[in-house]
Amino acid sequence: MACSEKQSGGYNPRLALLKIRHINEGLIHEPVVCRQCSNSYCQTVCPVNAVERDDETGAVLIDRNKCTGCGLCAKYCYFGVIRLSNEEKKAEKCDLCGGSPACVRECPTGALELVYSGGGDNND
Amino acid sequence: MIKGYMGKFLYIDLTKEEVREIPLPQWMAEKYIGGKGFGAKILYDFLPAGTDPLAPENIIMFMTGPLTGTAAPSMRACVVTKSPLTGTFLDSYFGGHFGPEIKYAGYDGLIITGKAARPVYLWINDGEVAIKPASQLWGRDALEVNAAIKEELGDDTVKVVSIGPAGENGVRYALINCEYNRQAGRGGTGAVMGSKNLKAIALRGSRQVRIEDTDTFKEAIEKANAELKESPDVQALVETGTASAVPFANETGLLPRRNYKDGTYESANKLSDIGQSKHLWLKSAACMGCPIRCSKMGVVRTGKYAGTISDIVEYESAALIGSNLEIEDIRAVAYLVKLCDRLGLDSMSAGSAIAFAMEACEKGLIDPPEDIKLEFGSVEAAEYLIKAITFREGSLGQLLAEGVKRAAEKLKGGAEEFAVHVKGLESPAWGPRGVPGMGLVLMTADRGGCHQRGFPVAYEAGGEKWNGKPVEPLGLEGKAEMVAQLQNYLAGTDTLVKCDFGGFGVQPATYARLLTAATGRTVGEDLFDHVGERIWNLTRLFNLREGIDYTQDRLPARFVNEPLPSGPNKGHRITEDDMKFLRTDYYKVRGWDEKGVPTGATLDRLGMQDNDKFKL
Repeated sequence: MACSEKQSGGYNPRLALLKIRHINEGLIHEPVVCRQCSNSYCQTVCPVNAVERDDETGAVLIDRNKCTGCGLCAKYCYFGVIRLSNEEKKAEKCDLCGGSPACVRECPTGALELVYSGGGDNND
Repeated sequence: MIKGYMGKFLYIDLTKEEVREIPLPQWMAEKYIGGKGFGAKILYDFLPAGTDPLAPENIIMFMTGPLTGTAAPSMRACVVTKSPLTGTFLDSYFGGHFGPEIKYAGYDGLIITGKAARPVYLWINDGEVAIKPASQLWGRDALEVNAAIKEELGDDTVKVVSIGPAGENGVRYALINCEYNRQAGRGGTGAVMGSKNLKAIALRGSRQVRIEDTDTFKEAIEKANAELKESPDVQALVETGTASAVPFANETGLLPRRNYKDGTYESANKLSDIGQSKHLWLKSAACMGCPIRCSKMGVVRTGKYAGTISDIVEYESAALIGSNLEIEDIRAVAYLVKLCDRLGLDSMSAGSAIAFAMEACEKGLIDPPEDIKLEFGSVEAAEYLIKAITFREGSLGQLLAEGVKRAAEKLKGGAEEFAVHVKGLESPAWGPRGVPGMGLVLMTADRGGCHQRGFPVAYEAGGEKWNGKPVEPLGLEGKAEMVAQLQNYLAGTDTLVKCDFGGFGVQPATYARLLTAATGRTVGEDLFDHVGERIWNLTRLFNLREGIDYTQDRLPARFVNEPLPSGPNKGHRITEDDMKFLRTDYYKVRGWDEKGVPTGATLDRLGMQDNDKFKL
């Protein structure tokens, strides 16, 4: 909900970059979101170097100005969390909202946290 | 368009294969808000008196409210139609993911009438509507159909409601499965779908629900979430869903046993959160956008029913398939409830019908089927009857598929004495003999014997104060006023559409803030009482027009004639005189005449004498 509102200005989880998959009659609910991989395929396959890591937040970001909408990043993302926007045909992914994710801020139960592996804030 | 709303309904006539959009009139959003309000107004304006609920002319609606599909916590949607079980106005609520998807597909509600020439399902994809063949799905269970449609459409994120064979066969208490583990359960919504040859509806939508003032809305959400956290009732639901109501009802003598004959059961804990934690639960789960997570998903691990995936066996099912049938093995109860879901039966009415059959057999009014011991405690008998009812097999299946009211009328021989229903709707699992306010709720609920139109048990037996004062549990004074106020407020917030559990925590002022921020129309916390009272009078007018009058505002004979055999209120019953007192007081509080008809002055006061009519 929070993510879709951030993305689109209205509510619809289909427009969110964080998805929940419902499996086996609802016995399992699996959150699926970009893991900001340290070996990020999206970054490696991008032919125009539009994908870069933000040193401050650790997020892997897509530069919309450079992106040509070729879709290779989405194709090779193992978790399927990159999509092409409908209007502009630009690749979109979770950017950790600049370091303070809306999903974490607005989660009513505190189930979500932003954690950097290795401790510290974003050393790795 | 007012924000929070999508601004239109989708109207589908299955006979004519006609599909069109109807703009949401502004006056309707202001006077009736959404959900129950929209459903009540449309049903009253559109449906001619005396329409057969299972005829093509009946309409079935799936209605959302202005907060459905937003991040406001604990919102739902509802089905509204004329009930084939009671002949009354019927609203049945469901959580999960289908309700929000109606809005994401672009609509505030779906209005369906007519009858398809052959089995069909509806595929509504972002404003495109297809009436698709469903002969291949006919006869299959509701959950299989859910999976099959997702496969056919090649998208497992599509949201589906579906009926089982019970709905196809016109069982008068057939339900609609709304995605997994959520049902529009009561009053026969599934039979209405089946009568229209409508097996399922699939939705996908990418529209957004827009909010007028997002910052204020988020503040109100924070407040609402804080109120949910502060409420002990809500926190109990977070921990154990409604399963912990089993021991509460047992201790207060309200737990039905042996077709409501008794109100306590020594094996209650086996059916409660204790038994369910041990045998079923694996994790909590929630409807979309709800922090309460009252679902406890799990699986039966051991015994004959191993492998049954089950949500929590919520209180009503645990009581009506469990204690009421004297079945103490929660694994068997989970299996039977799941069987009801798959076949498309309301487990509450089914449990009541089975209990009725067991007692009728005990009393020699019916013969047991061959090779079946039709007696309390028999899981095999319950399973047999669930299937027989679904497929209307044999004379017993036919009899019970009609509900206990019609079954008793047919059986005669004193069967009415133990047919536990109000206006034809099998009573919920709150025997009212120790809680007369709850008795009055059952007597006067617009859809018949229902516990969700007011819940004075919390005050009469739960120790909560009403308007700052303790409540005399067995007293009759003041109960009518309490009941009317509870009914008004719940009906008012059933327009949002709130979940009752969220309502245990979220305060009226916070709902008003959410609605104000969403729509931009400033409303006060008393709005819900006013709108609720208007709706309550409208559904009353609907029922009166159908010929359901004050003589039906009464309790089942068992609660009137037979004193409670055990528990703290042992020996108590609600007599004819008690009922008369409660009814008279209630009509007075409501501004209805002595025959329970809203007076002209009351309708004037509520602004209901105008000419605003909803037109299709």
